[in-house]
Amino acid sequence: MAYQINFGKPEGLLNLETRATTYSATLTGRRWLSKKTFEITLSRPAGFKFTPGQRISLRFDENERDYSIVSAPGDSELTLCIRNVSGGKLSNFLSTADIGASLSMSGPFGYFTYKSSANPAVFVATGTGVAPFRSMARSGVSGYILLHGVRSAADLYYASLFQQSADAYMPCLSDARNSPDDFFQGKVTQFLAQHLKFKTYDFYLCGRGEMIRDVTFLIDERFPDSLVYTELFY
Amino acid sequence: MKIYTGTGDKGKTSLFSGERVSKSDARIDAYGDLDELNSILGALAAHLVAEKELVSELQQIQSDLLRAGAWLATRPDSVAIESLEEISNEQIVFWEKAIDRLEKELPTLKGFILPGGHISSAWAHMARTVCRRCERKVVPLINKARKSEAAEQYQNLLVLLNRLSDYLFVLARYCNHLYGVSDKLWKT
Repeated sequence: MAYQINFGKPEGLLNLETRATTYSATLTGRRWLSKKTFEITLSRPAGFKFTPGQRISLRFDENERDYSIVSAPGDSELTLCIRNVSGGKLSNFLSTADIGASLSMSGPFGYFTYKSSANPAVFVATGTGVAPFRSMARSGVSGYILLHGVRSAADLYYASLFQQSADAYMPCLSDARNSPDDFFQGKVTQFLAQHLKFKTYDFYLCGRGEMIRDVTFLIDERFPDSLVYTELFY
Repeated sequence: MKIYTGTGDKGKTSLFSGERVSKSDARIDAYGDLDELNSILGALAAHLVAEKELVSELQQIQSDLLRAGAWLATRPDSVAIESLEEISNEQIVFWEKAIDRLEKELPTLKGFILPGGHISSAWAHMARTVCRRCERKVVPLINKARKSEAAEQYQNLLVLLNRLSDYLFVLARYCNHLYGVSDKLWKT
């Protein structure tokens, strides 16, 4: 009985496809980015469209997880960035699954997409929360400030792409031993509180709930007219 | 999965268009009422489980209300408007046809009625009155959006709420009819 809604929107970054569909995809490759984090590539199902910043849901047996897409809409394959979580059934499986394995995926999901604006964009990520920003950068978004909070410099995957397209790329390391002097030692919140100029920004936050909460409160205090878009990782 | 981040613990929340606003902001107030309406529709549907077509219609309203809520959570001058699903004239026509279909089954109304009767009818009246409150909250927001590019969409939203209010009135009467309860006329 439901009626059909006419989605008459222009093509472009904001033309979101939000009616999720289920597809079958094949695991075509895996590449380790650091000790605990790896990328997988999946064959791109025919007709699957997404906007940078959106995520897909992967399913194997009874285990299902959402992952942001790190590849660009123009890429021939879908790439995901996954942290191998201790006891995480799906990430453990994906870390060892045979290349050629068939997976059920659905999507795209989410609204965490880049919106062009007169304000400077500040991307804030912790760990694999950098994934949607990689897709945006690979799709041509540039001129942003990116803070990437990780444990050590070894976790700074995708650094070269961000160095090319960002106005400022600032790794924030909780363990800065053996890291370059120009990397910030401390949390992303500390960097924002100590070094980001008072101004109005568009903030994009992707990562753990604690980071999102702390940064949001900081924005309320220090950058009150800014916009805040968030994507929670768990 | 933790569903809480605690970003609203100090009384502010984020709009879909990214602005941080007080939880007492007019937009939050308006879509909060839509949320209330949606919950009441859930209660109403729970009293109509045997009426599959009506339940399906109520679930369609619930989906429409979520879509409407996204418009209220977005400032009309924001680029985020572009990522919202349209509120189409087709939706409005759909509800007009639904009103006509139910009304055909009912005796002619000869005066004001007292809300109530069967439990499902009572809930439908509750839903109708909350829907009218939603309209009252939405009107000032729409007046502000009149000069925006999204003016037509906001206007459609207002029309949609007006039709849904009418639908819920007819549905309240239909529920009484369905369960053999006569509407109680107001005696002056």
